[in-house]
Amino acid sequence: MRQRNHDQSVPALLLRHPAYARLGIILVLLLCWEIAARWWIDPMFLSPPSRVLGSLTDVVETTGVPAAIGITFFELAVAFVLSVIIGLAIGLAIGLQRFAHRSFMPIVLLLYGTPQITILPLFILYFGIGPPSKIAFGVTHGMFPIIVTVIAGVQNIKPILMTAARSMGASKWQIFRWVILPHMVPSFFAGMRLGMSGVLLGVLLAELYVSSAGIGYFTTIFTQSFDPTKLLGLISILAAMAIVLNELVRRAEVHYGRWRAE
Amino acid sequence: MSARGRSMRNRLLSRAVQIAFLLGLILLWYLATTQWGVSQLLLPNPVAVYHELMNVLSSGEFVPDLKVTLSELAIAFGISSVSGIALGYLISRSHYLIRVFEPLLAGIYSIPIILFLPLYVLFLGLGPSSKIALGTTISFFPIVLNTIAGFGYVDAIFIIAARSMGASDYQMFRYVLVPAALPVILTGLRVGFTVALLSILGSETIASLAGLGHRIVQLAEGMESARMFAYIAFAVAIAAILNTAVSTLENRARRR
Amino acid sequence: MATDAVAISIRAVSHAFGEPGDPRYVRALLDTSLDIARGELLCLIGPSGCGKSTLLNIIGGLLPPATGAVQIGQTPVRGPLPREVAFVFQENALFPWCTMAENVTLGMVFQGVPKAEHAMRARKSLEAVGLAEFAQHYPSELSGGMRQRAALARALSLETGILLMDEPFGALDEQTRMILGEDLSVLLARTEKTIVFVTHSLGEAVFLADRVAVFSARPGTIKKIIAINEPHPRKPEFVTSDKFHSLRNELYTLLHDEIRKAVSQSAITGAEAKA
Repeated sequence: MRQRNHDQSVPALLLRHPAYARLGIILVLLLCWEIAARWWIDPMFLSPPSRVLGSLTDVVETTGVPAAIGITFFELAVAFVLSVIIGLAIGLAIGLQRFAHRSFMPIVLLLYGTPQITILPLFILYFGIGPPSKIAFGVTHGMFPIIVTVIAGVQNIKPILMTAARSMGASKWQIFRWVILPHMVPSFFAGMRLGMSGVLLGVLLAELYVSSAGIGYFTTIFTQSFDPTKLLGLISILAAMAIVLNELVRRAEVHYGRWRAE
Repeated sequence: MSARGRSMRNRLLSRAVQIAFLLGLILLWYLATTQWGVSQLLLPNPVAVYHELMNVLSSGEFVPDLKVTLSELAIAFGISSVSGIALGYLISRSHYLIRVFEPLLAGIYSIPIILFLPLYVLFLGLGPSSKIALGTTISFFPIVLNTIAGFGYVDAIFIIAARSMGASDYQMFRYVLVPAALPVILTGLRVGFTVALLSILGSETIASLAGLGHRIVQLAEGMESARMFAYIAFAVAIAAILNTAVSTLENRARRR
Repeated sequence: MATDAVAISIRAVSHAFGEPGDPRYVRALLDTSLDIARGELLCLIGPSGCGKSTLLNIIGGLLPPATGAVQIGQTPVRGPLPREVAFVFQENALFPWCTMAENVTLGMVFQGVPKAEHAMRARKSLEAVGLAEFAQHYPSELSGGMRQRAALARALSLETGILLMDEPFGALDEQTRMILGEDLSVLLARTEKTIVFVTHSLGEAVFLADRVAVFSARPGTIKKIIAINEPHPRKPEFVTSDKFHSLRNELYTLLHDEIRKAVSQSAITGAEAKA
């Protein structure tokens, strides 16, 4: 490898900034995908990225798709808010009281560990094929991480902090408001990050299973009509939405978990 | 009462609350179906569910579906674990490669990969291959990421100490890197297994012609509620057995 | 001692952990009686496990004694007395999500100090310990020595008559301890607080205390009380004086065998635990 002028050569640039190498790898993969899709694979099964990008506007203009995306987003938002509220309430109820914790924690962990996907048909049976079933399934997936992390945040307080507060005359309410609650906040935000992943999983699973108005309806259509272009386009939009939502929660966690930097 | 007596009483009390809670739920279930007129289609009689479950188990009717699910799981996990560990090890060899690939892999993992299921179905059809493909894809990531973390972040002090005692590359690998990395890698394998099982059950539910997930959907569409509940219980039990077995293996191996 | 000159009166206090018959039963403190004068600084020193921290917690009402009783002035101690007693602990007991100023203020909230006084008292006590310019910093941003200064500021802001300090400098390196010890002596010379100070360090005890209560190994009781007649604030030159050395030697002689006994005790329990 010959250096042209003092480390400005491409290999050195790549070495100093892994981000460029990563970008390079992504571009290479996209290129392989493009070549394979254009010349080797039956266009009925796979579409090259260039065509997918080009037809993104087509996807969005297909009747019903924007509304479907909107409905799915609505399902995600409602499921997330409900998960947070229910998760926080149950987490505090179990975490704050020692007896409640000992009695109900094993039940929570048991429920958290069961494969909820097996009862998806039940959810559809009870809540119908519209948004309510998707929201419900999202909530059951999203609330458990929040419950568990809230309980951990309440239980993990260093005993010396409780002793110090008690020695200064703090009442039970004061301990809850000024010691337990602030201590729990970073765990709560970490839980929300996991909860968002759970909600995404739950809502999307339910959508893909059966959907009359959400994006699941269109993934089924595009799959059955062998339209990989539109399917890939739709999936990309959904993936982008998932990334944005995850990133929002992650940023909130970084911002509010600052005292944890100990 | 002495402190010891008090804590024993509390432990028994909480155990009692748990049992009461579960029994209470079953009782509510029974009452709802027999006395309160909840439709048998929505909530079958627990006794009927029990009978159906015994039926299914004794007749061996579950065997073909179980075989399909388990074989899909075995193949998917087999591929993802071997490739995940191999690739993870190769990447961990250089700090630069770690810095390039780890964020990339973590980034992809953060997308709900279940979204790719329609693609796999379009490409591979409704047979086992699409389930295996999805299972492999999803379980690959925790395995490769944990392998990178395991091998790549071995405490430098161990490596320095071994080198100072004259360890060869092979000895370093066998006696330092592998034992140090093993706990993290085993955790990755356990997570990968759990995730593979979940995604296979999930993809069977959504788009399949066979397997436990598909059987449940079939029974739901056929309005055979009691049988469906029986299969749900069966699937949950299988999942619990498999996950417990894997967890125990992990703990056993880690303790050494 | 005249009764109103006695700040803390300890009568026949003993304590044990666990139940008799339980293999983990441990008698931490044997029958102990002691009068602590108003305004004096008393050090409790002894080998590990001798019960000195237990006694401190009993005095402060954080732990009920198995036998005996403690009185603060005329009031029997039955629980924490936040208006009379303030603690400084060895472990970092500052709330990590609060700034230094917020930590001090929160203590006043708990004690019930009227809101109007919070800002002024907080500023005063942080200035007294030399942390005025770090009021808006978080504990994680400061060194161990500064964190303990802040813990002291929090205790001072509560304006109690009694200060109980449980090895407050135990987690710090020797140089920091030296500086903090000198600063503490200067600070306390200005107040009239009664202070009970638990320490492991012989030099620290001699430097800071008016009297030193020497404990025996577990089960602990007070072996001897040594008086240190030296005016406050103690000067750094005191440390190199002959008087200091002879007092320190006296402590060493009293403690050495007790420390050996304590170490062999923990070796036995350690061996039992492995068996």
